[in-house]
Amino acid sequence: MGGSRAEILQGTLDLMVLKTLAGMGPLHGYGIARRIEQISDEALQINQGTIYASLVRLMQKGWITGAWGTSENNRKAKFYSITKSGRKRLQAEAENWERIAAVVGRVLRAAERG
Amino acid sequence: MLAWIRAVASRVRVWLSPGRADSEFAQELEEHLTMLTEENVKRGMGTEEAARAARIRLGGVTQLSETNREMQGLPVLETFLQDTRYALRMLRENPGFTAVVVLTLGLGIGANTAIFSVVYAVLLKPLPYAEPQQLFNVFEIQPEEGVKGTGWSYANFAELRASNQIFSEIAGNQQHQLTLTGRGEPTVVNTAVVTPEVFSLLGEKPIAGRTFLPEEGKPGAPAVVILGEKLWRSSFGADGNIIGSTIALDKRACTVVGIMPAGFRFPAISEDEQIWIPLAQDPLFGSWMDRRSGHWLRVTGRLKPGISMAQAQGELDALGARLAKEFPAENRGWAIRMVPLQEMMVGDVRVALLALLGSVGLVLLIACANIANLLLARATSRAREIAVRTALGAGRGRIVRQLLSETTVLGLLGGLVGIALAYWGVQALGSLPTASVPRASEIRVDRLVLGFALVLSVLASCGFGLAPALFAANSDLQSSLREGGGRSGESARRRRARNFLAGGEIALAVVLLVAAGLLLRSFANLMAVHPGFEVKHVVKASVSLPRFQYSTPQRWIAFSDELLARIQTQPGMRDSAMAVPLPIADGFINLAFDIPGNPPLSAGTSRTADFVSASPDYFRVMGIPLLAGRFFNAHDNLAAPRVTVISQTMAQMYFPNQDPLGKRLKFGFPFENVGEREIVGIAGDVRDVALGEDSKPMMYVPFDQAPFWGGNVVVKSTLSLSSIASAIRNEVRRIDKDLPVTDIAAMPGLVDASVAQARFRTFLLALFAGLALVLAATGIFGVISYSVSCRTNEIGIRVALGASSGSILGGVFRETLMLALAGVAIGLPCALAASHLIGHLLFGVSAYDPATLGAVALSLAAVAAIAGYVPARRAMRVDPMLALRHE
Repeated sequence: MGGSRAEILQGTLDLMVLKTLAGMGPLHGYGIARRIEQISDEALQINQGTIYASLVRLMQKGWITGAWGTSENNRKAKFYSITKSGRKRLQAEAENWERIAAVVGRVLRAAERG
Repeated sequence: MLAWIRAVASRVRVWLSPGRADSEFAQELEEHLTMLTEENVKRGMGTEEAARAARIRLGGVTQLSETNREMQGLPVLETFLQDTRYALRMLRENPGFTAVVVLTLGLGIGANTAIFSVVYAVLLKPLPYAEPQQLFNVFEIQPEEGVKGTGWSYANFAELRASNQIFSEIAGNQQHQLTLTGRGEPTVVNTAVVTPEVFSLLGEKPIAGRTFLPEEGKPGAPAVVILGEKLWRSSFGADGNIIGSTIALDKRACTVVGIMPAGFRFPAISEDEQIWIPLAQDPLFGSWMDRRSGHWLRVTGRLKPGISMAQAQGELDALGARLAKEFPAENRGWAIRMVPLQEMMVGDVRVALLALLGSVGLVLLIACANIANLLLARATSRAREIAVRTALGAGRGRIVRQLLSETTVLGLLGGLVGIALAYWGVQALGSLPTASVPRASEIRVDRLVLGFALVLSVLASCGFGLAPALFAANSDLQSSLREGGGRSGESARRRRARNFLAGGEIALAVVLLVAAGLLLRSFANLMAVHPGFEVKHVVKASVSLPRFQYSTPQRWIAFSDELLARIQTQPGMRDSAMAVPLPIADGFINLAFDIPGNPPLSAGTSRTADFVSASPDYFRVMGIPLLAGRFFNAHDNLAAPRVTVISQTMAQMYFPNQDPLGKRLKFGFPFENVGEREIVGIAGDVRDVALGEDSKPMMYVPFDQAPFWGGNVVVKSTLSLSSIASAIRNEVRRIDKDLPVTDIAAMPGLVDASVAQARFRTFLLALFAGLALVLAATGIFGVISYSVSCRTNEIGIRVALGASSGSILGGVFRETLMLALAGVAIGLPCALAASHLIGHLLFGVSAYDPATLGAVALSLAAVAAIAGYVPARRAMRVDPMLALRHE
């Protein structure tokens, strides 16, 4: 059971990384982590290192690619960008996610009323 | 799916250059830290505090790198390689242990692989014909007389072929030897005498020319022949223009119409120099085609698809009933049966081979039990090492995996040794001229056999490795660490496991020893059988006369008389005779006969006896005693009254309480010379079929009254085999330079060869049983000496407290005997079940032979006692002071 919960959480983080890269264009690991924290109004304080596991997973599936480049302050950094199949995946996953969220929301409202 | 493949590919890529990925990741993390730190500084932290906060925010760098490496690489493979390296190091450090295990296992796997290669080639491998599972042998049986399976008369076969609804193709065959002349030395060639359908039945095409046409199967058609590729190459120099030319077979010109590929062999699957001629062309069988009596044509059919065996058998039953009704004189009491061709070709080797395979399997089990015991002992002494590893965080699964890798490496090393041994063993088997199994030429260590060895070694290593590994991983961490050497305390559970294994080894050894003992006794009984004739210094040689040149019985008689007269004048070769067939060395000719004046037989029964045509001196040469009346003499020829000599069994069976001398017999063979014969003598019984088969009723007739186109010359002489052979050759050549003399052999060797299969399986099984005994003995020795060394301390205390050395010795001895008795008690019932399975390989000994069972039980107890004695002596000599200081 523990495994399946971790999977959902991993999947959620992967989805957020994909969404971030889709919206922002190429970013390095630190940038992705910061962006996720900002969007969530600092509500989501992630252990920033976990982002890298997510990046490896997404790279292995071919949904993002990584390339070495130069950062804002002229340092060498690895930039990640979303691929075509990554975008397709993001769309499917996002729809899926919204459907689940909607269902969960309806169930919760129904429970309130009941 | 694609994503999955890409993931694995990326992992393999990273795994191939691990350093680069690691350093890249380290750099990436460092960048991340720098950026975090800079931001923290911007927020107003001090440099050091900023760096510390950044590290907390990111998480442990080492752990992240580890996770990254695991995700990107191939962790399973890496652990496996690591384990393997570690295992190899461990094994190198214990060369004695490794050598014992690898050799034991190698012997087990080697023996299994060698026997499996035989079983595969003989029993499992499909026959080399198209869709071989559809091929069946169809044969006639006569249940009431115990005729188990024999051929057809051609007339009956013709009925079968005409009314057949169940076979898509059906063909008959026989074998014969013909003399090939006109190409250097006259040679004898193995000739398959067939009906034309045989080639389409087996689905084989010629490499040149064509096969037989249907009209070539009819009597009177022109003589044609098909050559085997091998003979075409060896005797005709692979002559490309041979199709259409003629060759001389038995002095008759036959036109070559085709050449069959070397791989095509039929009906004998192991003969490689063959020719095929239509049945109608054969000088012997061709002349029998119009007869309905006689059962000589072997018939093979291809079952139509969709027809079950039961359906087919139903049709055959109907045909059998019809034949018996329409032709009662020839077919009364006969029925038709079918069996798969493969089963027919393998014959009764099956049981022997399966018994051998079973016994090597048991040997391997014993070897595994032995190794498991060694590993258990070692695991006890390695408990500390494992406890330390567990304490350092190795999970249970990880420890089991590591120990299993060790045993797998051992197993594979054993497998390698085993494969080498199997290659050698198969070669040794092949070079044994006596290993007379069908399809022996196909026995080899091929890919499938190698696969078998591999699977066997992996299975074996799991078998002997799993229990010790689980025990080791389950050991109590604290007590192991505390115990220091881990020497004094072997848990009761583990000891039970070790005792169980040793007892099991003994039980398995009992099974093998009983089987081997029974086979050895059977073989001794077989060798002690007196065959009824004396073959010392007797040599035989065969001469076959071309029937187209020597066309009448008178010419056969003239040839035989002249040859014997010439040979008998040679120095030292006075005792010479001619006979067809020879006991044991040849087949036998079983004929029905009548006793004129006796009431006709009731339906479904008949009288039969084995027929021998012999020249007067035959009985003297073969040492067959005369019990009453007289043997033949030179006056018993075609001009004289017909006479016969019968055997004692025949006299007792068919003339009970009467004097057979002067009585008459009548039988329809030879066809040219049918008539009543007067019984003039009674000869001693002869085992003519096989040493292991009781003497059949036999009737002898003078060669000059029932001649054959040639026969066996038998000579009793103290001269050497080669000088006898060349004397016979010279005399034959002086009569006819185109006649080959074949099958020259010493009779004792032939009788010996007839028991070759029995000797072969007895030898192998005895070998395996011996191996099992040695392994079981080492198993007991290992268990007892280990138990003694574990209890050195305890024994020391007991000695210090005044126990006599006798009571110490007795204690250890009791332990040994209990083990041995438990093993024997479990083994004996299993042995009884097993010996029941090999029941029909036994001769003159019951499957439940108490002497064998007792001897096995006693000898195992004795061996166990000896194996236990050495450690017991050591226990007795334990010095209490040393033992107490041992800790």
